[in-house]
Amino acid sequence: MPDRLGKVDHSSLRVTQGSIIVLLLFSFVLNSPWLVAVVAVLMLAGSAVSRPGFFFIYLLLLRPAGIVKPDVLPDNPEPHRFAQGFGGVVAAVSALATLLGAAALGWALAWLVIALAALNLFAGFCVGCAVYYWLHRLQVPGFSKNPPAGVAPGMRPRP
Amino acid sequence: MMIHGVLARLACAAGIIGLSLVAFTVARAVILSRARRLSGKLPSFRSGTPGILYFTTPDCVTCKAAQKPALRALEEQLAGRIQVIEVDALNQPDLARQWSVLSVPTTFILDTVGKPRQVNHGFASAAKLRSQLQRVS
Repeated sequence: MPDRLGKVDHSSLRVTQGSIIVLLLFSFVLNSPWLVAVVAVLMLAGSAVSRPGFFFIYLLLLRPAGIVKPDVLPDNPEPHRFAQGFGGVVAAVSALATLLGAAALGWALAWLVIALAALNLFAGFCVGCAVYYWLHRLQVPGFSKNPPAGVAPGMRPRP
Repeated sequence: MMIHGVLARLACAAGIIGLSLVAFTVARAVILSRARRLSGKLPSFRSGTPGILYFTTPDCVTCKAAQKPALRALEEQLAGRIQVIEVDALNQPDLARQWSVLSVPTTFILDTVGKPRQVNHGFASAAKLRSQLQRVS
């Protein structure tokens, strides 16, 4: 039986993905692991309160200014929360590794987060969500949602 | 010295982004090329008329609400000059896999010999499909 879907504003997700990409690129260019740490904290805090990490930019700036319009789709919020939390952990390890002297590992992890956010933003494929649905298929407790009908696991639903 | 470091890292970032774009373009070309090799295996395709290969599923809301009406409108506009081949991806999962279809609706623009020239992942409007068809006719 298909799950009852919630509503997910994909514009706020896209703003968060774009912010993550821009800030991590800046942190790499400026060689600033502290900026990576800030991104990690926002991502993890966002997951903790079930919001995209950079939701405030969308809510307070881009949406009121009409720069980004809402794109509310029937979708499961849980996989996006998991994906962001997973990305936040990778970003936190990246910052920690760089600060402890393992710069190559740290920046490689930061680039991994950039790549996954870009894949989601430009191709509509959320790797973290696909992992969530894969864990659901393996019947791992806590991963209870099926992908929306007609949508491949991890792919962005269509309006 | 610090500016030199920033410029070097900027160049490195640009290089990584550039390589990723190249990889993305190659991946897209590989999907189309793979699909081209399979194009002869579409029994319902009539040579000499360009067409649209349309992957859908019975429970796809976008397909029913938007893609199907767009295709119907296009067929009416170009009466007899195009063919639309509809495939239920759930009924023919092997075909969907062979054509690298990950979501529905997905539409392939086929030229007059049935070779795919463009692919649209997700909804494609009648105007967009028409413009793509004009390029292969």
